[in-house]
Amino acid sequence: MLLKKRGYFFVLDAVLGLIVLVTGVVLITSSYINAPQPVQVELLSDDLLNFLSNTKIKDLNNPYAGIGGELWKQGEITDAENSLLQQAGEFYATNKPDTAEKFIQNVSKDIIPSQFRYEVWMNDIILYPKTPTAEHIKSKDGTGLLLTSKKITFGIVNKTTSNLWGPYNAEVFIWEK
Amino acid sequence: MGKMRLKNKGIFFTFIAITIMTLFVIVFTPQAEISVQKDMQATGARISSIDDYVDDLETRYFETVLRATTYKAILSLIYYMNSTGSFIPDIDSAFSEVMLKGTINNVPIDSITNKKIMDNNTLTNWSSRITEAAKDTLNVNTTIKITNVTVFQTKPWNIDSSLTINFTVQSNVAEWRKTSAITATISLEGLHDPYYLVNTNKAYTNRIKKSSVEFNQWNIAKTREHLRNGTYVYWQSPEAPSFLMRFTNTMTNSSCCGIESLVNPNMISPSDQRESYVDYLFWTHKFQNNCAQLYNITGLWDEFKYFKMDINHIVKYNITAQDAVKTC
Repeated sequence: MLLKKRGYFFVLDAVLGLIVLVTGVVLITSSYINAPQPVQVELLSDDLLNFLSNTKIKDLNNPYAGIGGELWKQGEITDAENSLLQQAGEFYATNKPDTAEKFIQNVSKDIIPSQFRYEVWMNDIILYPKTPTAEHIKSKDGTGLLLTSKKITFGIVNKTTSNLWGPYNAEVFIWEK
Repeated sequence: MGKMRLKNKGIFFTFIAITIMTLFVIVFTPQAEISVQKDMQATGARISSIDDYVDDLETRYFETVLRATTYKAILSLIYYMNSTGSFIPDIDSAFSEVMLKGTINNVPIDSITNKKIMDNNTLTNWSSRITEAAKDTLNVNTTIKITNVTVFQTKPWNIDSSLTINFTVQSNVAEWRKTSAITATISLEGLHDPYYLVNTNKAYTNRIKKSSVEFNQWNIAKTREHLRNGTYVYWQSPEAPSFLMRFTNTMTNSSCCGIESLVNPNMISPSDQRESYVDYLFWTHKFQNNCAQLYNITGLWDEFKYFKMDINHIVKYNITAQDAVKTC
């Protein structure tokens, strides 16, 4: 009788121990799965800013913003040596926010995966999107991870006079939808 | 006795279970690991972004500032010569002073030229602006010391400037110390030739514009156009001075960069002078007492009366005997 009771006791003890162990492993594993992945978003924000600051107008194959494109023909872009960030800054400096917004949208549309949202700011003024939608604002406010990259930018506004604009603080925000 | 043994075994197993669980918790606590990772990522990202800034400072920011201020300094020096009517004794020191302080002989150059060109646009002004912007944007302290600025030419149609800077960038995670030599190139085209301004007391201005005629394509018609448009030409093995030498009235040859234009007799008084009307020969009076080598270019006298050239240039411009007559 005593031996039988001992058997139940050890079986029950082993089952309880197993439950505790499994629960512990499940909790630990699930906490790993839920941890946010900051690296990709951070790389994306750096990538977008580096793309804008390292790519020159002359290197861009874009029917809107490249050499011979719409803005070039309209005389809005005159210096093919400008980087995309400098060009956006020049539009901001010359008070052309609509052109700046469309320009950024055109050059960056294929750079960022669709599950992310992003903003481009110049000197604490939002250039893209110029007027954020309610959905955009809600998404930004509700995101668990919003990352930013910053750079200084300035350039020559008029080649004839060599007048300079800036330096401005260019900033990119990226988050997951 | 038997009960006592069992109780002891229970405590032993419980102790082992607690020890194993504690080890599990310590080893696999996610919070601690992510926190370390986050710290490392944050430091890495910060170092990377400041490193990009240091790189941009060397390769982009100062190159852009140098290019813009070089153009402004050269333009200011031309206006200065126009205002004072005199040549500059030392172009390098004058250029350096204008670039760094916006002054010439310690007087603000804008006050002499009556043009607002260098005001708030010196290298020193822009160094301060970059420093402030870096502090606001990246929270780093940048110290920039400009040690040397020079101007020179290596090609006939460009001006090069060179800048040597020592800079330090300090952040809460690291510090960068560097010495950099930066060069920038601007085009001469469109700038006024100071040699004309000084020699004619502002009466005759000529802007630098490159002639499109190839060296073996010259003839009387092309020479007429060249004279009419006031264009400049660069000959292989030139005897002419460079653009920068025109600031100091140094009318010797520049092997890399000598350029010349033709003086329009209709723009000077008197129009008829016993000189070769090639600019650097005209005002240095090289052929004033050497009429044997001087020719009236009669083929152009219908439009440019009294225009003359020395024999070397008649050959260079491929002017034939029917269009040139000896002056004596």
